[in-house]
Amino acid sequence: MKLLLKYPFLIVALLSALVPVYWMLTISLKTEVDQFATPPPWLVFSPTLEHYYDAFLSRSFGQYLITSAVVAVASTAIALVIGTLAAYSLARFRLPYGLDNKLSLWILSTRMFPAIVTAVPLFLMMRDLRLLNTRLALIIVYTAFNLPFVVWMMRGFFAEVPRDLEEAALVDGDSRLGALRRVVLPLVTPGLAATAVFCLIVSWNEFLFALVLTQTDAAMTLPVGIAGRVTQYEIKWGVMSAAGVVAIVPILVFALAVQKYLVRGLSLGAVKG
Amino acid sequence: MPKLKRSFSAHNSRDLLFALALITPALVVLLSLSIYPLIYSITISLQTETADGIKWGVSNFTRLISDAFFLTAMAHTFIYAVVALVFEFLIGLSLALLLNSQIRGRTLFRAALLVPMMLPTVVVGVVWRLMLNPNFGAINGTLKEVGVNTEPLTWTASPKLALLSVIAVDVWQWTPFVFLVLLAGLQAIPQEPYEAALIDGSSRWQTFRYVTLPLLKPAILIALLLRTMDLLRVFDQIFILTEGGPGFATETISLYIYRTAFRFFDFGYAAAMSFVLLALTNVISTIYIRFLQTKQTPT
Repeated sequence: MKLLLKYPFLIVALLSALVPVYWMLTISLKTEVDQFATPPPWLVFSPTLEHYYDAFLSRSFGQYLITSAVVAVASTAIALVIGTLAAYSLARFRLPYGLDNKLSLWILSTRMFPAIVTAVPLFLMMRDLRLLNTRLALIIVYTAFNLPFVVWMMRGFFAEVPRDLEEAALVDGDSRLGALRRVVLPLVTPGLAATAVFCLIVSWNEFLFALVLTQTDAAMTLPVGIAGRVTQYEIKWGVMSAAGVVAIVPILVFALAVQKYLVRGLSLGAVKG
Repeated sequence: MPKLKRSFSAHNSRDLLFALALITPALVVLLSLSIYPLIYSITISLQTETADGIKWGVSNFTRLISDAFFLTAMAHTFIYAVVALVFEFLIGLSLALLLNSQIRGRTLFRAALLVPMMLPTVVVGVVWRLMLNPNFGAINGTLKEVGVNTEPLTWTASPKLALLSVIAVDVWQWTPFVFLVLLAGLQAIPQEPYEAALIDGSSRWQTFRYVTLPLLKPAILIALLLRTMDLLRVFDQIFILTEGGPGFATETISLYIYRTAFRFFDFGYAAAMSFVLLALTNVISTIYIRFLQTKQTPT
């Protein structure tokens, strides 16, 4: 009985998860005639790459793609450096007055602010600094956005490394920073990589801050570029789908790479996966 | 306590200095980009522009109470959050219970179910604009094919269906998340209580009710907490799917704040509303966390 119920239910779930994405893929490969055909051709149509050429060569999507990549990589790198240092300190040292625990919780709480709450003042701040419509503004904001996450993930990974290894290095005359670099960091490299991938995904997908802070072709990210096309009156469905497909590809590759750490990352280490 | 053994007590001043030096850059970034903006936001929420310059006071906050748009947006946000949460939880729990047992192709199922939640929400919006398009969308096309409806349904363009449609999209995207967290929780439950229940002759339902559910509670609360926080602030999908329309039918609080700030440039009023949202999410997360802490004390 249970078996009879199990597989149909799972197959329905599987199809509902994947079919909509497949539908977008087909639209991106269909000529406009096929796009509007009824009944909709699911499998049989003659594929074309014209929408991809249109989006990335004739329109500015290539530029948005580069901006997205630059912003994601730069903000991830900075957040990793700053966050890992803080995480190591919070994992290893008991500060007076329980300050280490209080700071950890405070850092986590900054992540819980709804984005729109900080979006309004950040827009005004960036306007005053004349940083609107620059990649720098997004890099700065995403660094702050990813930082609490890095601290919490890495704090967990550092806590799993036994202390004896560092003590041995310290006895051998290493400085504390040297022990961190030569002994501890190599041990947490898988965790560091998983954390980096999460930050990349979050920055790549982020929409609200990018929408608020960038409105020019030179500075907008891929999601903002796509959204701009969606909300216009005459919508180029093929172009939009092509851009959507391209926006998905790196995410899927990354997600597969960190599947093992996924639950831990998504629940900020609160549930051990 | 393994935690104590693994950490150094920063009692000598060199260690203390080192520990603080490592944290300082992170604190500077968060103070200037999370805390300073909040303070800045408080000051602008207390200002209103009048004909004779900027006036200080709480008029932005008193205005909230009589703003029908604000109240409607709040109502939409609540409906959205509650309905989506119920569906995401029930479907996610069922999937987790099913996939926790031995089945073939489990890894494949799991990987495939992850796809929706990893997508950029903007792309999710595009995907569902395509699926729900009244003229060439796959859903109407399929419905017509099997002869269910003759009039094409307009989904996101219909005042009646729009809110339900955007909720359905949220359920599509985020049920996998609930599923993942609950599955991890299920896999962390030891075998012994189940064996005991089996010996006691408990029924399937009794085992679920008195063994699985209590032990799964922390995972359930975490999943619900994180989903609730995200649902209350929902913005991206709705912005792409309907921009809050048709009319005001799918306007949630985040969208209304966005419109107020970046379409009408009334930053003070937008800031005031954002504090209501912040207070709301704070209260709700505090309640969840209190539940979590009482349930996690060892028994």
